[in-house]
Amino acid sequence: MAKWGMVIDLEKCTGCQACSTACQMENNRLPGENYQDVLYYTEGKQPTPQLKWFPRPCMQCEEPSCMHVCPTRATYKTEDGVVLIDWNKCIGCKYCMIACPYGVRFYTDEKPLVEPNVKAVFNGDRKLSWNPPYKGPQQDAAKGIGIQPDGVVSKCTFCYHKISKAPKGTPDLDPANPELVEYVPACVRTCAPGARYFGDLDNPNSQVNRLISDKQGTRLLDHTGNKPQVYYLTGAGAAGSAVPGTRAAKA
Amino acid sequence: MEILKKAISRRRFLQVSGGSAAAGAAVVGSGGLGIGGLATLQEAQAAVGDGNTVVNKSICAQCPARCGIDVYTTNGRVHAIYGTADHPIANGKLCPKGHLGTYILYDPDRFKGPMKRTNARKGRNEDPGFVPISWDEALQTVADRLNTLRDKGESHRFALLYGRGWGASCAGLQGTFGKLYGSPNVAIGHSSLCSDGSILAKEMVDGNASYNSYDYRNANYLLIFGANFLESFRPYNNNMQVWGYIRGEKSPRTRVTAVDVHMNQTLAASDRALLVKPGTDGALALAIAHVILTEGLWDRKFVGNFHDGTNRFRTGQTVMADNFDERWTTGLVEWWNVELKDRTPQWAAGITTIPADQIVQTAREFATTRPAIALFERGAHNHSNGVYNGMAIHALNALVGSLFAQGGLAYQMGPSYGKLPVDADAFMDDYAKNGPHKGQPRIDLKGHPDGYKMAKNAIQEIAPNHLKGKPYKLDTAMFYYTNPIFSSPGAKDWEEALKDVFVIETSPFPSETAIMADLILPDHTYLERLQDAPTYPFQGYPMTQLRTPAVKPLYDTKYFGDTLIEIGKRMKGPMGEYYKALGDTENVLRHLAKGFEANPGDNGVDSFEKWKEKGVWYKKPYLWQQRDGEFYEWDGSDYRSQMSADDVKAKLLKTPSGKFEFVSGKLAGEAEWISKTTGMARERVPYIQWVEPKHTGAGDLHFITPKTAMHAEGRSANLPHAIAKMQPTVGGRREVCAELHPSVAKTKGIRDGDRIRIKSTLGEIVAVARVTELTRPDTLVLPFEHGHWAHGRWAERRGANPDEITANQSDRISGMANYYTGKVSVEKA
Repeated sequence: MAKWGMVIDLEKCTGCQACSTACQMENNRLPGENYQDVLYYTEGKQPTPQLKWFPRPCMQCEEPSCMHVCPTRATYKTEDGVVLIDWNKCIGCKYCMIACPYGVRFYTDEKPLVEPNVKAVFNGDRKLSWNPPYKGPQQDAAKGIGIQPDGVVSKCTFCYHKISKAPKGTPDLDPANPELVEYVPACVRTCAPGARYFGDLDNPNSQVNRLISDKQGTRLLDHTGNKPQVYYLTGAGAAGSAVPGTRAAKA
Repeated sequence: MEILKKAISRRRFLQVSGGSAAAGAAVVGSGGLGIGGLATLQEAQAAVGDGNTVVNKSICAQCPARCGIDVYTTNGRVHAIYGTADHPIANGKLCPKGHLGTYILYDPDRFKGPMKRTNARKGRNEDPGFVPISWDEALQTVADRLNTLRDKGESHRFALLYGRGWGASCAGLQGTFGKLYGSPNVAIGHSSLCSDGSILAKEMVDGNASYNSYDYRNANYLLIFGANFLESFRPYNNNMQVWGYIRGEKSPRTRVTAVDVHMNQTLAASDRALLVKPGTDGALALAIAHVILTEGLWDRKFVGNFHDGTNRFRTGQTVMADNFDERWTTGLVEWWNVELKDRTPQWAAGITTIPADQIVQTAREFATTRPAIALFERGAHNHSNGVYNGMAIHALNALVGSLFAQGGLAYQMGPSYGKLPVDADAFMDDYAKNGPHKGQPRIDLKGHPDGYKMAKNAIQEIAPNHLKGKPYKLDTAMFYYTNPIFSSPGAKDWEEALKDVFVIETSPFPSETAIMADLILPDHTYLERLQDAPTYPFQGYPMTQLRTPAVKPLYDTKYFGDTLIEIGKRMKGPMGEYYKALGDTENVLRHLAKGFEANPGDNGVDSFEKWKEKGVWYKKPYLWQQRDGEFYEWDGSDYRSQMSADDVKAKLLKTPSGKFEFVSGKLAGEAEWISKTTGMARERVPYIQWVEPKHTGAGDLHFITPKTAMHAEGRSANLPHAIAKMQPTVGGRREVCAELHPSVAKTKGIRDGDRIRIKSTLGEIVAVARVTELTRPDTLVLPFEHGHWAHGRWAERRGANPDEITANQSDRISGMANYYTGKVSVEKA
């Protein structure tokens, strides 16, 4: 069984947010609620200010603190290494949102970012939080896939509805391969500069392991012990795209 | 970690600070247009079931890039868009806008069919009182009006204005319509609001009135002026693919220096960011050229050399012209003597505020890290001195031998289209040939000594000219993919001007033009169209795309090309006969595709059917290359067939001399007119030179109004998902913010998040302040995006439109509107 992981090359990332919009459409997200977000921040002063950004999906941790705190075991880890939420079991207590060090979980009781509220304009029935006009055909509450119902927490699934159908034993889900493209997570598939790689971390011959090895892949907040399955490459050419430092101020 | 924590708390645990930016929200409605939004929504939401998913080929329409898209439809409902894998621009990828296209199709505020106005009063706050009519009534109304004008000998008073024309089956039909009908104003393009400054700059020095194609993948250095390569320069999607390659894979990594007036994503991602004073990019380029010459770094094989090989370019000293043999350039020594010898880095530092040592380093790197490309767009040329700025930057390409070189820049070839089925010339009646319209200038005075004699278009002049009645008043104006009442400088003039014009709007969206319209003839949205779209300048080799409908039109709309043909059929005389013979746009497209039979594309497209299946026809390679100062033509397997000087002049360097001209022959030919209109000494006109920009307004801050990555030429204005991502760099997620420097904020008593009044001589607008170090202390940056008073429920009542306070000043040479040259003052609102 694969252990799916992602590598994001910050030398290539241009901070364009296509990962965010591809994900939003694939996963029926509300405006501003990005499973796959890009965070922007600034440091320094004129004439040498710095603008930086940091792309952030769910880290799909090996030791997910969100899972450990869940009182109903709604959050669980699949055999192939993905953290999912069973919306049938989630009671919306939000413990997991506090436990997650990366801020990648969503609840839908908030004020809308953009008015008029799309939830009112595209009104869902009582089971779903909204009814987008373009919604995808996938809906699987036990895996937290599809349109989010009210009263539950949601998060990035690594596009589990896609990757779980990939041929067994595939080392990397390369979007350039026409045989595999439909199994590739939306953010990886669309990434124009090709900053994202997706593959099997348990396969030493996978490209993701090659990149982590050759380019010193690092994990965000490794000291928490969560052991993210998302790695960042921070080579010399990474100028705008960077891991946030302590001096940075948010955009 | 602070960044992550704030992201969490912002969304989850603190109140969402709706106060500042979400003002006036929670109004669900469609702007008083009298059309039911929500009822339609339910129609659009036809049940999704388990049916088969169909993927069809189309072309994105959210910017000029024309990326191939795979549109996923299940049970008749579009639910996903991804880039087409075997499309040369998209390569399976998309930019952030592309994925949101589905929302344009299902925009709940779309028009549902043709309508006519019932309220005779016009204005921003007048409900047009639209009532639905049949297509036949709508088209006949237009034809009757045009026939009547023609009968009165006033056909010139009909204008067709267009913005994003796509190809031969829409905008390509307009010129013939104007010729057969008899109006100089059919059609007037939007290019003077777009980037004519760059087109004219290139025409003046290398003879090509065009944008360039760029061979980025083989370049080792990019020097980018005022073109936001990673946010808003076309083709955005492909630019990012290029970036991933040249920065993350290519060996050696391509170095990049980027020049702009505030820190944006391009500058942030580059090796060197130069924050230049607005309007002074030309001074920077001249100083770089100065260093290239004094340090002997120019490309001798392309430019030439001193007889004895000794460099005599010394700061402040003239050079004898006889000493230098030029190859593919002319006027280098004259240029040096008249202009360049004094354009030192120290001089430029005083003009641009960029330190001299940064200029010297940039010049050295640029000239020694070849192939190198100097690229510029709007930021550099949206000023009164725009063409001269552009010429100075483009001269750098000549100095390092990048023109038509591998890893340099070239121009774009057109597709091998077949002929249309009917010859329009055979349908010209006497009126069309010799009617009174022949003596009339264009309404925008393009090409006229009293207007913009050298311009390609001057669409921004239409409203003021109509209001003055000079050269005359328009009777009827039709709009295709353009909304100058919102997007032209001095936008409010258009609100007055359109009050006594019969306005026909063809947009499917409730635009500001629609609010002023007498007739609505709504187009399909792009996912419903069968439409061709030849590429914008890209890699030089010819390419043309085809949109095929992903779904049947949701409503009673009609493709603009067919609207034009149907109006034509209702015209009296031979004009009507022409359009009856032409048939419809599908017939046009089938005949265009016949050209592929003799020239099959590299992907096997040799027919209309194959074109539909693949979505694109293209044929590599680009046919010409300059290598080590010699020009070669493709001989079928390589660039080996050496070109004569005459051949180069005919095909590539189309100047009077057949060379790159540092002293422009074309400008010399217009020196008298330019001198008269600008006050410049006649003899200086032809030289690439520094000219002080003339700023409009009287404030203390430069007012810069760029487009962000999500802008989509305005087509994302009513997309809530796009609004939430509009200005991520400074957190403009409900509404774009006005970036201003902390020193300005302190002086004016403005705090981050305050509402501020931005004042120019034209009036004032209110925006949310974002106090940031990203913007120069002498500059205020407010992206051009919001301030709509129509266009749908999410677009309306959000933010402010900078064009309402942007004065209508244009570059005298190009006619390019000077959007970024205003000066404003700010105060706390």
